[in-house]
Amino acid sequence: MDPKKIRNFCIVAHIDHGKSTLADRLLETTGTIDKRKMKDQVLDSMELERERGISIKAKAVRIDYNGYILNLIDTPGHVDFNYEVSRAMAACEGALLIVDASQGVEAQTIANAYLAIHNNLTIIPVLNKIDLPNSDIEKTKLELENALGIKGDECIICSAKEGIGAKEVLDAIIKKIPPPKGSSKKKLQALIFDSHYDTYRGVYSYIRIMNGKIRKDQKIMIMSTEGKFEAQQVGIFKPDFIETKELSAGEVGYLIAGAKEVSDAPVGDTITDAKNKAKEALSGYKEAKPMVFCGFYPVDGEDFEVLHEALEKLALNDAALFFEKETSGALGFGFRCGFLGLLHMEIIQERLEREFNVNLVATSPNVIYKVNKLNKESFFLDNPNQLPPPGEIESTEEPYVKISIFSPSEYVGPIMEIVQDKRGEFKNMEYLDPTRVVLTYEMPLQEIIIEFHDLLKSVTRGYASMDYEHLGYRVGDLVKMDLLLNQEPVDALSLIVPREKAYYIGKRLAEKLKKLIPRHQFEIPVQAAIGAKVIARETVRAIRKDVLAKCYGGDVSRKQKLLKKQKAGKKRMKRVGSVDVPQEAFMAVLRIGK
Amino acid sequence: MSKEKNNNSLPLPPTPSSSPQIPHLYIHIPFCKNKCPYCNFISFDNKEILLDQYVDSLVNEIKLQLTTNNLQLTTIYFGGGTPSLLEPKHIKSILAPCNLTLDPEISLETNPATANYEKLKAFRKLGVNRLSIGAQSFSNRHLKTLGRIHSAEDIYKTFEDARKAGFDNIGIDIMYSLPNQTLEEFKKDVEAVLKLDPEHISLYDLETERVPSYELLVPDNDTEANMFEYAIESFAKAGYKHYEISNFAKPGRECQHNIAYWLNKNYLGVGTGAHSHVDGKRWDNNGPVECDEKRETIFMGLRLLDGISKDKFKGFEKEVSELKGQGLLEETETNIRLTKKGLFLANLVFEKFV
Repeated sequence: MDPKKIRNFCIVAHIDHGKSTLADRLLETTGTIDKRKMKDQVLDSMELERERGISIKAKAVRIDYNGYILNLIDTPGHVDFNYEVSRAMAACEGALLIVDASQGVEAQTIANAYLAIHNNLTIIPVLNKIDLPNSDIEKTKLELENALGIKGDECIICSAKEGIGAKEVLDAIIKKIPPPKGSSKKKLQALIFDSHYDTYRGVYSYIRIMNGKIRKDQKIMIMSTEGKFEAQQVGIFKPDFIETKELSAGEVGYLIAGAKEVSDAPVGDTITDAKNKAKEALSGYKEAKPMVFCGFYPVDGEDFEVLHEALEKLALNDAALFFEKETSGALGFGFRCGFLGLLHMEIIQERLEREFNVNLVATSPNVIYKVNKLNKESFFLDNPNQLPPPGEIESTEEPYVKISIFSPSEYVGPIMEIVQDKRGEFKNMEYLDPTRVVLTYEMPLQEIIIEFHDLLKSVTRGYASMDYEHLGYRVGDLVKMDLLLNQEPVDALSLIVPREKAYYIGKRLAEKLKKLIPRHQFEIPVQAAIGAKVIARETVRAIRKDVLAKCYGGDVSRKQKLLKKQKAGKKRMKRVGSVDVPQEAFMAVLRIGK
Repeated sequence: MSKEKNNNSLPLPPTPSSSPQIPHLYIHIPFCKNKCPYCNFISFDNKEILLDQYVDSLVNEIKLQLTTNNLQLTTIYFGGGTPSLLEPKHIKSILAPCNLTLDPEISLETNPATANYEKLKAFRKLGVNRLSIGAQSFSNRHLKTLGRIHSAEDIYKTFEDARKAGFDNIGIDIMYSLPNQTLEEFKKDVEAVLKLDPEHISLYDLETERVPSYELLVPDNDTEANMFEYAIESFAKAGYKHYEISNFAKPGRECQHNIAYWLNKNYLGVGTGAHSHVDGKRWDNNGPVECDEKRETIFMGLRLLDGISKDKFKGFEKEVSELKGQGLLEETETNIRLTKKGLFLANLVFEKFV
């Protein structure tokens, strides 16, 4: 394959700016997918992706167009998955930057554009959704120029929905994006930019050949682990897996080599020939570090092994998912899990429940804290219960981020209010154009993962978008808060909170728990405490009446169903001591409001 | 109704062992002048034009059942819908093919203002001997919220007409835990029903299943419990026996037909929404209904305040002992029954048997 005839590109955009729809249109225009088989967002194959309208995993497809081979690598559009975007970019020479012309430049437009620039990609700006009556091409061009220095005449005008501009986009890809460098004559270097696990064939590694060739039966080696495999099959994405004789420099395809776990061939790693080794691995790969942690526990203790296997299976496909066993006095055996962000956590939780049928309790999410002890030891903790007694602590630190908020300027007031409430420190305010503004703050990551995004959306009626980058650790006055149900501390409800907000959070949490915990046959005190000091108390009163009135001949089966439902509802709850606690109570902190 | 059943004098025909004995017949009349939003029963409004045709079909269904089942009826129950929309000629044709034992209980559900004195008198003459009047509330404001089309005055009128027509066995249904209802308001309803001095009272809390907007308006759990408690005490003081979770009767005036349900006896239901239960099988017009005889016997039987005999609980010793431990069940010499606490929290008991 002549690399001059190859173009490797990805599509990046702020969420909902029409990335997947444009991908659909490109596939349809080039006849890559039969119109008959075409369904919306054809690359979003996971049920959850279609439902949520977002792409979670990167995916690839090969398009034949005018004698060229265009490899499209689809990327996720959410801030949590920036990591996956960066992997996809490492396999490309160019990027389509989609901007919804009715919304304008958003936080992740900028974040993704910078990521592309950082990866030396050629950017092709595409203004999408021009069919919408409220689209404003000139204003969007101005914003792109102000924010990124992209000139208006570089932009391709398009409506992916209506199929307008698809040809222009394809031609620009050929004209503007440089062909891959590399040479088939050099030693094999292939970048693993994604992978998925298949029950029957093992690991499918999605690879970009940087140099050399790879073919069936070739002995290969994974450079970081030095693990040796034999290529069982190589092929391309059409988007179904189509076997080919070989893949050579510049090409994008897949490899099955009998790896049983994704960690045998980690994403970002380099594949080379086992006998004719390349001197060094490819660079540019950044390991995904989980930032947000929570506990996952099976409601039914007997499901522990099922949960364990399910997490292992998901981790096969998700290099950023971390998990290790932990034990909670209240919840029994479970796992402490690490995620890229809150959405990542929600998605994993939903997939565990939906695809593996595990009934889960998730505890409220927290960041990784750093503790400096008086004896000069320092350590990181991902579970509030690991915090040593106050007497041993010299100081505590928590991760800070720089957050950029893009919003129509009329919402600046309310945004400032919630950010200050979340311990944000104002840094900068810039106008993109007379009506849109970028606010920059520094704030603790913990505040962002606790309902910040929802709050931001609600005070700006959905118009604001945000993105953040990590700044490192800063000292904070942090304390551990315990929650007690029926006088018993429930370790799974413990939190680390800033001292200045402890009373407020304790009070709101106790109130929330009071609402969430159903009335039992006995009265249940709900208390929030710091150390031995109770700072808030509510009471779940005893239930006095729970009885179905009418029940005659024709009611027997209907009333039984009602009671079965009630019973099933209780089964979904977690028994802590003598109290049945609903799953959502463990996440109550996410919903305590401003 | 107190019954001296004179079974000896009844010339019962010999029955082959294959044809089950069914002593109870339910007749469903799925017509209403106006549908109440909260109601879970199958019924249609503005379709009274079909009454004649419907009754013909009912009669055919009864005749058909008679060919395979042995119906020697001790009770018949006309349920609704609104059976008082029937004309006397309908009652006559429906009862004609029925084999009745001596002195059967024949109940008919009546909505206020749907049957006048003449009609009630004709019903009585045809053998109907028990009326169940759907009063629901004596407050016109609450009646309106419930979507009822009658007034408190209509209840008094219908009750008076029924007495005049010769009904000496009348039940009144009232509801509580109504949207925005206070305990004081409910006490007035209790007072009103006691003043009428019916033989039987049924007391239901409002089901919010079908009208989720009620959910936000109904009294809280404590108020609801206070209402239930107040009613139980007041009815007891007035000489009514609390014999089933929702039912109170003067001595000997328990509804025999309904007791058959709670004792999980054989009964046949005819008409659109009727259910039947015969020899461990349950069905309705859609076909068989799942039936776990053992559990259902307990589930229904525990609704009776006397409970049911201990031998019915074989295999459920663990559940019984747990519930006894929680103070929800208790044992008498022969029976297992709800405690007073269990009466208020009966769902926690039933849950173990579904």
